[in-house]
Amino acid sequence: MFHTTFYLRRLHSLVGLLALGLVLFEHIFTNSMAIGGPKALNGALAMMELIPHPIFVAIEVTCIGVPLLFHAIYGIYIALQAKNNPSHYGYVRNWQFALQRWTAWYLVVFLLWHVFYLRIFVKGITGTPISYELLQTYFTSHPVFTVLYILGMFAAIFHFTNGITTFCMTWGIAKGPRVQSVINVLSMCLCAVLCLVTLVFMGSYFI
Amino acid sequence: MAEQKKVRFVIERQDGPNDKPYTQEFDVDYRPGLNVVAALMEIQKNPVTVDGKTVAPVVWECNCLEKVCGACMMVINGKARQACCSLVDKLDQPIHLAPARTFPVIRDLLIDRSVMFESLKRIHGWVAVDGSWDSKDAPGQNPYTAQTAYEISHCMTCGCCLEACPNVGPQSDFIGPAPTVQAYLFNLHPLGKYDAPIRLNALMEKGGITSCGNSQNCVEVCPKNIKLTTYLAQLNRDVNKQALRNIFDH
Repeated sequence: MFHTTFYLRRLHSLVGLLALGLVLFEHIFTNSMAIGGPKALNGALAMMELIPHPIFVAIEVTCIGVPLLFHAIYGIYIALQAKNNPSHYGYVRNWQFALQRWTAWYLVVFLLWHVFYLRIFVKGITGTPISYELLQTYFTSHPVFTVLYILGMFAAIFHFTNGITTFCMTWGIAKGPRVQSVINVLSMCLCAVLCLVTLVFMGSYFI
Repeated sequence: MAEQKKVRFVIERQDGPNDKPYTQEFDVDYRPGLNVVAALMEIQKNPVTVDGKTVAPVVWECNCLEKVCGACMMVINGKARQACCSLVDKLDQPIHLAPARTFPVIRDLLIDRSVMFESLKRIHGWVAVDGSWDSKDAPGQNPYTAQTAYEISHCMTCGCCLEACPNVGPQSDFIGPAPTVQAYLFNLHPLGKYDAPIRLNALMEKGGITSCGNSQNCVEVCPKNIKLTTYLAQLNRDVNKQALRNIFDH
């Protein structure tokens, strides 16, 4: 007997927390450089360009592309097995359970758009380097896109921080109700802080 | 004499397993301490809807009438619970009754919960013994886990946790919190623990513990206050260790 379901589920959980968590933090870290102005962000982007192109693409494919695709496709399968019912059972954890799935649906669409447009089209096909000026023009001329991007970040941040809580439950790290609620509160605090950081660096393009 | 106070019941009915559901409303004379089962008995005695139409009596299941057997589980005002201990005084009116549709509906509020028995078989939910004779020197319960075992043994397979769980239903193959946690009860047993690897391996299969999505509705609705999420986390720990054993012992 080889427990395929068990290993796929655990891998899904690990990939989400470690690989995609790292991707999210990298995004928040680099983008928050925008708060320091064009020089700071462009400097941070130039730092990444120091990595030789083939290695950079290999890292992107193996550390972002493959984990993201696996997490998304297997995640869709998981989300389809749920019948969200917070309207009947309005407990906090159940709302978080439903939000985990709703943010997932939004992220699937949002990330397809984000990756195909900014990474594959703008950076890959047209060869335009991503810069402070490019992002500022993009966001200030498309307020709707700005809102969709902020929502995308909020969704990713909630999905990740709530994922920390469920990770601790799924792996049997946090067993009792007290430690589980402490971890949940701490995760949601992290969620609030990261959302605030997002609002600040997105807002910095407009001032 | 003051006018008799009435309690309005809105009941989701269904004539057969494959028939379309419909609702009917009934008024029942109020009396102090009235519970949902007693009200259903009144409707059975006088199955007349609020429109004055005499209809077939509402079918439901009940047995012990003291929250021990689990048979009268139904959805009352949107939540899964036992009808026998649902006091009318504590419910918002009109009172909505519906069958727990996580399970196949046989008729009206009567459901088929045999899937839970199948799940208990699947997780090896018993203690294997040598025979039916007295074993004088049988090992005693571990006093440190006896309270936990006693708590989990209260499970009456009513199905509240399965009905409330968003991951249990026709759309999913999850066996649900109740049968999953029973594996822990038998793993705690001084003789049952010898079969723990069988149970843990069964829980690692499709529809086992990995289908838990941590909504934690189960622990909120459990009428026996079993700390289901705590034991699910413990079992998660145990299956992880079992997986390591599976990988490194061979």
